[in-house]
Amino acid sequence: MRKETKSNIKFFVIGALIFAVFIFPLYWMVVTALKTQTEIFEIPTPIWPRNLYLDAFKEQLSLSGDTLRGFKNSAIIAVGATLISTIFSIPAAYGLARFRFKAKKGLILFFLITQMLPSTLVLTPLYIMFSRIGILNTYLAPILADATLGIPFSIIILRTYFISIPKELDEAANIDGCGHVQSFFRIMLPIAKPGVIVAAVFSFVYAWGDLIYGITFITNPTMRPITSSIYNYVQQYQTLWNSTMAFGIIAIMPVVLIFIFMQKYIVSGLTNGAVKA
Amino acid sequence: MKKGKMKSGSFLGFMFALPAVIYMLVFIGYPMIQNLILSFKNVDVYTFAQPENQQFVGMANYIELFTDINSIMTKSITNTLIFTVGSIFFQFFIGFGLALLFSKKFRGCSFFRGVTMISWLLPVTVAGLLFKFMFASSGGIINQFLMGLHILDAPLDWLLEPKSAMTAIIVANIWIGIPFNMMLLITGLTTIPTEVYESANLDGANKIQTLISITIPMIKPAIMSVLTLGFVYTFKVFDLVWVMTKGGPVNATELVSTYAYRLSFEEFQFSKGAAAANVLFLILLVVGCFYIKLINDEEEAM
Repeated sequence: MRKETKSNIKFFVIGALIFAVFIFPLYWMVVTALKTQTEIFEIPTPIWPRNLYLDAFKEQLSLSGDTLRGFKNSAIIAVGATLISTIFSIPAAYGLARFRFKAKKGLILFFLITQMLPSTLVLTPLYIMFSRIGILNTYLAPILADATLGIPFSIIILRTYFISIPKELDEAANIDGCGHVQSFFRIMLPIAKPGVIVAAVFSFVYAWGDLIYGITFITNPTMRPITSSIYNYVQQYQTLWNSTMAFGIIAIMPVVLIFIFMQKYIVSGLTNGAVKA
Repeated sequence: MKKGKMKSGSFLGFMFALPAVIYMLVFIGYPMIQNLILSFKNVDVYTFAQPENQQFVGMANYIELFTDINSIMTKSITNTLIFTVGSIFFQFFIGFGLALLFSKKFRGCSFFRGVTMISWLLPVTVAGLLFKFMFASSGGIINQFLMGLHILDAPLDWLLEPKSAMTAIIVANIWIGIPFNMMLLITGLTTIPTEVYESANLDGANKIQTLISITIPMIKPAIMSVLTLGFVYTFKVFDLVWVMTKGGPVNATELVSTYAYRLSFEEFQFSKGAAAANVLFLILLVVGCFYIKLINDEEEAM
């Protein structure tokens, strides 16, 4: 018993140290956003700001700035991509989990491969395609492209979810006179809800974090997603680190909130999506 | 009767999958083919808007990429390999260490483990800027820290010196990638039944012996998944490097992905950029096939 508590404390200390080192960059981002420019360039720079200087945040949150506009643009793009990705991947995952057909293995492989493709591979052709149909500099261009990041991943996680639901449930539904389509909507979908949430969360995080499609398809500054606007902001104001960090904090807020409230789901999604297929 | 039902069922299964397949074929499959065709043409800033002047030039773009004097392509492949191997080496060992620690039960364990996940979810653009700031020559905390420890005498311009720039992007990428390695390895560790450890303990095996002869062999599938998937994901990294160094200084951190992007969207040599992207794809394909074979074997074993 005694020995147990001792090793428990040892692990706790090691764990806490690792946690501190690991979380330091984020701490530094917050602290820097609260410093004045003079404090940032002081040697040694203070580990904690002398006065909490909120101007960097105020400036970023002012309505005239790029930040809130970028935030809104990203929200539209990420929600759009998440909707498309979820709507397309739920039935596909169900089909690939519950039915046997010839092309099944090939299709699973197809989605696995598309998940590993670099965006640069399709970037130029997509650019040409979108310019032909006239959707460059609209939200639709990054929405359509970002959904391709979410679909394969969502299908892979959702498929493991559908597989884990006992088959007897659909059989019972079939006996009760439900067709496949009906039992999918009435029985499978409600049970798979946690899986659907994981898939949607990941699609959202992918789309929110995208840079390459955003900077390529949208050149109009008022339409840029937030990753692209912070990138351009830094190009312009090289060393204005407190503002940049405040900008960064606002940009990561949705992801941090998702993380806080859905951590359990995310962990399961990450491991299911990558290990099983 | 039964056969007929089966048939309609299989058709239905295919129909369920069809919309997603079509979507991916339109927005990934078709562009991939277009990219291949583009790479055999001579489309650049002059011929982009004049289809009549676009011609097939065979392998010319690929040959040029590799045979130019001071070929940036060759350099970018080497850089990508250094970046990938450097990142994965540390991500894996640190991730493995953390997985071993966090698979023990102790107070605060799930909290610490949970919070370390966050670096993996952050938009890479923001993480890149954060590290760009921490590595900055003036105001950067990393210089201050190393000077405080007397490892450095004067502030180093990390992102402006070729070797240190590569180190900096690798360090940033390790931070981003550790949780991924850790989580997959923890999942692997939880599949090992505790009885196995108990009997090893009875046999008098010490901790290192247990690790080498029991833990590692038993989670080999998870280890292989982490390494191959990690390779694929790291090899195609774009945003982090684009934000931190843009491939500089003097191509010292140019990766295949950033080079392909630069060719297409900064120099407007679309065909050459397409060729570079295809080279990236080819390398990933080889590793990707290895991964797919791996999980297929695993599924058959199960």
